[in-house]
Amino acid sequence: MVLPKMRRYREKSIEALLFLSAIASILVTILIFYFLISESIKAFAELGFFNLLLGTKWHPAGDIYGMMPLIVTSLIITVLALFINIIIGVPLAIYLAELAGPRSKAILKPAIELLAGVPSIVYGFLGVIILVSFLQERLDMLTGRSILAGAILLGIMFIPYITTICEDALRAVPSEFKQGSLALGANQWQTIRYVVIPAASSGITAAILLNVGSIIGETMAVLLVVGNIARIPSPIYDVFDQGATFTSVIAGEMGEVARGSLHYHVLFAVGFILLIVVSILSIVADLARAKIRKKFGGY
Amino acid sequence: MKITPPLLASMAASAIMFVSSIIYLVIQPNWFQIGQIWNACLIISALGIVIAFFMKKNRPTSKIPLLAIDLLFFLAVFLLSFTGVLNPEFNIHRPLGLGASIGYGIAYPLLVLAAAVLGIKDCINILYGFNAKGQEVLIFLIIRFSAVIALLLLGGILFVIIYKGIGIISWEFLTTPARKLGTAGGISTAIVGTFWMVLGAMIVSSPLGIAAAIYLQEYSRSLRLNRSVTIAITVLNGVPSVVFGLFALAFLVNLFGVSLLTGSLILGLINIPTIILTSQEALKSVPNSLREGSMALGASKWQTIKKVILPSAMPGVLTGVIMGVAKASGETAPIMWTAVTFTSTPVQTYYGVIPDIFQPVNNLNYHLLNLIYFLGAWDVEANAWGTALVLIALVLGTNMLAIVVRNHYRKKISW
Repeated sequence: MVLPKMRRYREKSIEALLFLSAIASILVTILIFYFLISESIKAFAELGFFNLLLGTKWHPAGDIYGMMPLIVTSLIITVLALFINIIIGVPLAIYLAELAGPRSKAILKPAIELLAGVPSIVYGFLGVIILVSFLQERLDMLTGRSILAGAILLGIMFIPYITTICEDALRAVPSEFKQGSLALGANQWQTIRYVVIPAASSGITAAILLNVGSIIGETMAVLLVVGNIARIPSPIYDVFDQGATFTSVIAGEMGEVARGSLHYHVLFAVGFILLIVVSILSIVADLARAKIRKKFGGY
Repeated sequence: MKITPPLLASMAASAIMFVSSIIYLVIQPNWFQIGQIWNACLIISALGIVIAFFMKKNRPTSKIPLLAIDLLFFLAVFLLSFTGVLNPEFNIHRPLGLGASIGYGIAYPLLVLAAAVLGIKDCINILYGFNAKGQEVLIFLIIRFSAVIALLLLGGILFVIIYKGIGIISWEFLTTPARKLGTAGGISTAIVGTFWMVLGAMIVSSPLGIAAAIYLQEYSRSLRLNRSVTIAITVLNGVPSVVFGLFALAFLVNLFGVSLLTGSLILGLINIPTIILTSQEALKSVPNSLREGSMALGASKWQTIKKVILPSAMPGVLTGVIMGVAKASGETAPIMWTAVTFTSTPVQTYYGVIPDIFQPVNNLNYHLLNLIYFLGAWDVEANAWGTALVLIALVLGTNMLAIVVRNHYRKKISW
C-alpha cells in the first residue's frame, strides 16, 4: 500500500519527534553526569581524588575536606535503616502476598501505596518534633539529633517501598510451586520458607538494593534529624552521636557557599560520588529483576 | 491439643506483660505499681509453663534445657526487680563511651518484653507439642504483629498530622500570605507557587514521557535502543533528588536564573521516568488485535495510535501523570536553591493567566522547611503543622485520585 506523499511525510515527522522524546531521557542522564563531573573535577584536581575521598576531616571553614566522615555516617545509617526496614517491611509483604484475606488487603494495599507518597519534608518535620525529642528524653542524650534518629526515620519512611516491591516478587512465584509443596505435606510456613522465599529471592534482593539506593539518596528527612555535623563518630559505633551524610551535607551547606569556591566544587564532588553509588545500585537491582522475569517468564 | 488452665494463665500473663511493656516503653506513663504487676505476671507465666509442660503426656525431654534457660531468664528479671537492683534510680551511664544512658524506663520494660516474648513462644510450643505446626503458628503471629506495627506507625503519622493541623486550617490561613517570618498569616502564596510549579512540571514531563513511551512501545525496532533507554530510565529513576538539585544549579540556573521556570523544568525531568514507565505499562496492556484491526481498515500507524491505542491506554497513562503530580508536589531538595524564595512573593501574572516564569516563587515544601528551621527561635509550630497538613492533603489527595482512576478502569475494561 502506498500512502499519499503528504501523509507519509507526516508519519515520518511524527516518528522522528517521538524518537527525539525517547532519546531525551538518555540525553538528560548524560547531561547530569556531564555537569556533575565538570563541576567536581576542580575539587578532585585541587585536593587529589583519594585525599578527598578518604580524608578523615571535614572543616569547610579551613578548606579541609575529606569524605570519610560522610561515608561512615551514611553507611551506619543505611545499615540500621535497612535493618528496621526489612524486619517490618518484608513480613508485611509476606502477610500481604500470602496470608491477608481480601478485606484486609483491600484496606492495607491502598494505605501502603498512599503512604509511599508522604513528602520527605513532612517526615523530617515529624522527626524533629516527635522522634528527636523522644530519643533525647528517653535515652538522656545531649541532643536527640543523631545518627540513630536518622536511621529510625528512614527505616520507617521506606517501609512502603520495600513492601510493594517484595510483594510483587512474592506474587510472581507461580502457584504450582506452592501447590506442589503443599501437596507433599509441607505446611504453609514451610512452603513460604523453603519454596516461595527462595524462588522470590532475586526480587527481594532487587527490592533491598533499590531501597539502599533510596535510603542513601534521601535528603530532607535526614538533613533535619541527623545533626549535620560531619565527623566520624567516636567511638565509631556510637549511633547516638551526631553525623552528616552525603545528602545532608550537600543540602545543608550548598545554600551558603559562594559559587565557584572550592567548597562549592567539593559539594559537587560529594554529589558525584553519591550519583555513582546510587546508579550502580539501581542498575544491579534492575538486572536482578530482569533475572526473575527470565526465570518465571512474565512478571 | 487442648488448652489446659495453667497454659492459659501463663499465656494471659505473657500477653499482659507484652502489651504493657510496649506501652510503657513508648509513652512512659506514671504507673507506680507496674513493677509488682510485672513480677506477679513473671511468676504466673513461669509456673504455668512448668506445670503445663509436666502435665503433658509424651513430653519431649530434649526440650527441657531450652525451657530451663527461658525460665532462668524469667527468674533473673524477677530477682533484679525484687531485690531492688532495678529501682527507678537505676541508670547505666554512657556505657562503652556511647552518647546515651540506659535508665530504668528503658531497661526494665525491655527485659519484661523479652520475657513476654519467650513466654509466648514456650506456651505455643508446649500447646502444639513442639512440632512444625506450632512453629508455623508462632511465625504467622510474628508476621501479623509486624503488619500491625507497620499499620500503627503509618496510621499514627497521618493521625498526628491531621489531629495537630486541623485546628490551624481556616479560610484565612489558606488565603493570606505569610507574614513576620511565617509566625503570622497563612500560606496562600506558597499554595499558588506550588500549583504553578507543578503545572509547569507536568507540561514539561507529560508530553515528553508519553511520547517516549509510545516510541519505545509502538515504533522502536531496535532492541539496543530500547535497552539503552531502559538503562537510562533506571538510572534516572534512582538519581537522588539532591543530585537533581545540583544539576539544576550548575546548568539550568545559569540559563534561567533562580526562577519558576528552572523549578518546573527540574521537577519535570524528575518525573519523566515515572511517566514513561507507567505509560509503557498501559500501552503494553492494549491487545494486539486492536492494532491489527485498525491497520486492516487502512489506518496509518499514527492514526491507529491516536484513535485506537491511546484512548484505550488512557486510564493507565492518566494514572502515571497523576502520580507525577503527587511526586512533583512533594519535592524539596531539587528546588531549594534553584527556584524558590521564602519571603512572600505572589506569582506575577500577565493578563491574569500567564505567570511570570522568570521570578522565584513560594513553595509549600520550602515554606515548611524554613518553619522547621525557625522552630526553636520563633513561635511557628502551629503554622508548621498547618502547612504540613495542607501538603499531605495535596499529595495524598492526588495519589488517592490516581489509585481510584486505576481501580475504576481496571474493573471496567476487560479485553
